[in-house]
Amino acid sequence: MIIKNLTVRFGDFTAVDDVTLEVPDGQVVGLVGESGSGKSSLARAVCGLVPYTGSIEGARRVQMVFQDPYASLNPRMRVGDTVAEGIRARDRDSEVKRLLELVRLPAEVAGRYPRELSGGQRQRVAIARALGGDPGLLVADEITSSLDVSVQGAVLNLVRGLRDELGLPMVFISHNLAVVRYVADVVAVMHQGRLVEAGPTEQVVGEPAHDYTRALLAAVPRLRG
Amino acid sequence: MPVRWSGPAVAGAVIVALMAALAVAGPIVWGDAAERIDAGAILQGASAEHPLGTDNLGRDLLARVLVAGRFSLALALAATLIGAVAGILLGTLPSVLPRRAARLATGTVNALVAFPGLLLAMFTAVVAGLGARGAVLGIGAAIAPGFARLTQTLAATVAGADYVSAARMLGVPRRRILSRHVLPNIAEPLILNLTQALGGALLGLAGMSFLGLGVQPPSFDWGRLLFDGFSRIYVTPEVALGPAAAVALAGIGFNLLGDALARAAARTTVRKAEEPPAPPAEPDEPDPGAVLDVRDLTVTFPGGSNPVRGLSLTVAPGEVVGLVGESGSGKSLTAAAIGGLVPYPGKVTYGRLHLGGRDVATLSDKELGTALAMVFQDPLAALNPALKVGGQLAEVAVVHEGASRAEARRRAVDRLGQVHLPEPERRAAQHPHELSGGMRQRAVIAMGLMGTPRLIIADEPTTALDVTVQRQILRLLREVVAETGAATLFISHDIAVVGQLCDRVVVMYAGRVVEELPADRLAEGAAHPYTRALIASLPGLDTDRTRPLAGIPGTQPAPDQVGPGCAFAPRCSLATERCTTERPELDAHGPRQRVACWEVS
Repeated sequence: MIIKNLTVRFGDFTAVDDVTLEVPDGQVVGLVGESGSGKSSLARAVCGLVPYTGSIEGARRVQMVFQDPYASLNPRMRVGDTVAEGIRARDRDSEVKRLLELVRLPAEVAGRYPRELSGGQRQRVAIARALGGDPGLLVADEITSSLDVSVQGAVLNLVRGLRDELGLPMVFISHNLAVVRYVADVVAVMHQGRLVEAGPTEQVVGEPAHDYTRALLAAVPRLRG
Repeated sequence: MPVRWSGPAVAGAVIVALMAALAVAGPIVWGDAAERIDAGAILQGASAEHPLGTDNLGRDLLARVLVAGRFSLALALAATLIGAVAGILLGTLPSVLPRRAARLATGTVNALVAFPGLLLAMFTAVVAGLGARGAVLGIGAAIAPGFARLTQTLAATVAGADYVSAARMLGVPRRRILSRHVLPNIAEPLILNLTQALGGALLGLAGMSFLGLGVQPPSFDWGRLLFDGFSRIYVTPEVALGPAAAVALAGIGFNLLGDALARAAARTTVRKAEEPPAPPAEPDEPDPGAVLDVRDLTVTFPGGSNPVRGLSLTVAPGEVVGLVGESGSGKSLTAAAIGGLVPYPGKVTYGRLHLGGRDVATLSDKELGTALAMVFQDPLAALNPALKVGGQLAEVAVVHEGASRAEARRRAVDRLGQVHLPEPERRAAQHPHELSGGMRQRAVIAMGLMGTPRLIIADEPTTALDVTVQRQILRLLREVVAETGAATLFISHDIAVVGQLCDRVVVMYAGRVVEELPADRLAEGAAHPYTRALIASLPGLDTDRTRPLAGIPGTQPAPDQVGPGCAFAPRCSLATERCTTERPELDAHGPRQRVACWEVS
């Protein structure tokens, strides 16, 4: 998939300013930047949720996983029905079972309501629902920032597992460079609506070319001693 | 949905039950009496034989009021259903139709809402023809716009939900989105509104009949009886008051019940409070050097749930102590208990809870208000959106220290400058929504500095912020602590943030402290398996990308499901038989470190 000269405007405000970015097949592109940098607007444009100018080529059946797993699942629907929503196949039940297995959830979760699940489990359900739409691209918008660190690791492992098992290209958005570095093959840094740096992860993290990237790196909290 | 049976709720339920019974039994029991013509007893007032008098054919009016209940209630029910169905359909149209047609539907609802209800009812009734059918349609038409508006507003809030966006991306058709995602999530308030609309319809229909637009003879409902009796009100008032009382009683009944149901829906369950556990005995000598000295703090909720159990903690002046743990570990409730902010029906007991050497229970609100500064996760929720930032800060000094407005305002601007808010004069005159998240958090910290805080409690103050802004806020907190010498309790789920900012770290799990150690020993010296697992699950800039990240299997037990042993045992790789049956105490483990674990100490 390739995004060419994409611009998103809300009234007078330009949220995304002429961004060109390629998501190579089977790779995870990490999108970092602070809030207001335009990364979520870019994601929503790719998903067709906000109007934009410019072109997005080769993005078929884009699905998105949202930040807050407590708001992104219908509280009145059983997990199984939620996951089945996008499934086109005839045998929905076995497909739901397969998808839950893919996100490492036991099959009996299908009969439960979201309120009976933990935050990490809910986020897996949201991922399974997105996979049910047989996506050509998955957009993950800050999917671990409302989770505990102890759960975050497992969700990040799952994201990497999905890339390896399904060869699914992904746009992974986060404000935490350490998280992005762990899952992404390519890192793109956004600042004030513009793409300021993009390249292979080790290169961007190891030899940042832009001042803003360096500021982001310096801000990653780390243990002393 | 549990209903709290207060007086009005009981009254409403009883009246509605009586009305239902009357509707079923009335015509069967009194049907004949209501129709019996007695030429010798026409137009009588109240008597022992006819308590409400008789009409112009000598029929008993009490029997007629009792019999009319069924017809009156049936008409009201029909009118309400017509109004609700029409209203809900009209209200959901904007979310199903394409954009332009949706706008037309919205406009129609707006116009109808602006139209007086009674006028709409009378117009419809006249067009539809005099009689019960016209009146029912009329009242239905009057009720519909209100339902449409309510449905539209509720649907609009749900339509913005992430799960609706997700369904749209999955290609779920609009109709299905409406029936599966929108309607089930707005059904409750709509059903509640139905009960109240029923009371309104009853009154409206009586009004229509009273105006002669409703039920025509020989049929009769309460409104018709009122209409017939009204001409005699100066001679024999009871003939009009009987049906009037029936209308009023039914209307009040339905409204009371509707109110009670609506309130029950808005309230969460409150179980009956249980006996609070006896407070632990006053323990060893208080620590004279500590600003905050907590011993055996326990927070209890009804139903035997203890989210915080026997927690002890000290913070020295100028020291930053980090309280870290997963969500649900009780760290925020600990902060709330210290600040006296535990929500009802939670109960707080402690062996000692000293702030600046005095029991917090003996501190006045004013003393607590200036000695303790609290900074919360969501700065937008901590600031009143309707007030200007400077005014809110100034209020602290006015209320707690009796400063004059001008002096308080000057200090507010000064404090905003102290937390490095650019252009503090201008920012003070702005509303919270005009500030960015980081600026708001600075303003909240400045608010805490308006007094002379001896203790600052910061509960996840940077969780809602970006890493770059987080870094600035952490620096600011350090600076403030250095300047004021305040003791600081910093609460976070992020052990890396805690490790970077704090002097000492207290790790909580399932309501208890499991480890306490100097922050600079976190990386190398953490001993408790839980602390170590938390650190291991954290991705850093040098984490090996080829290997899976460590996580902690399982979940933290709920506060009412903690067993007798170590709460972490089910998730722990080192756990033995002993861990599940016997709880380890917090014991010294090297210098300035304490651990509660059988296997490492």
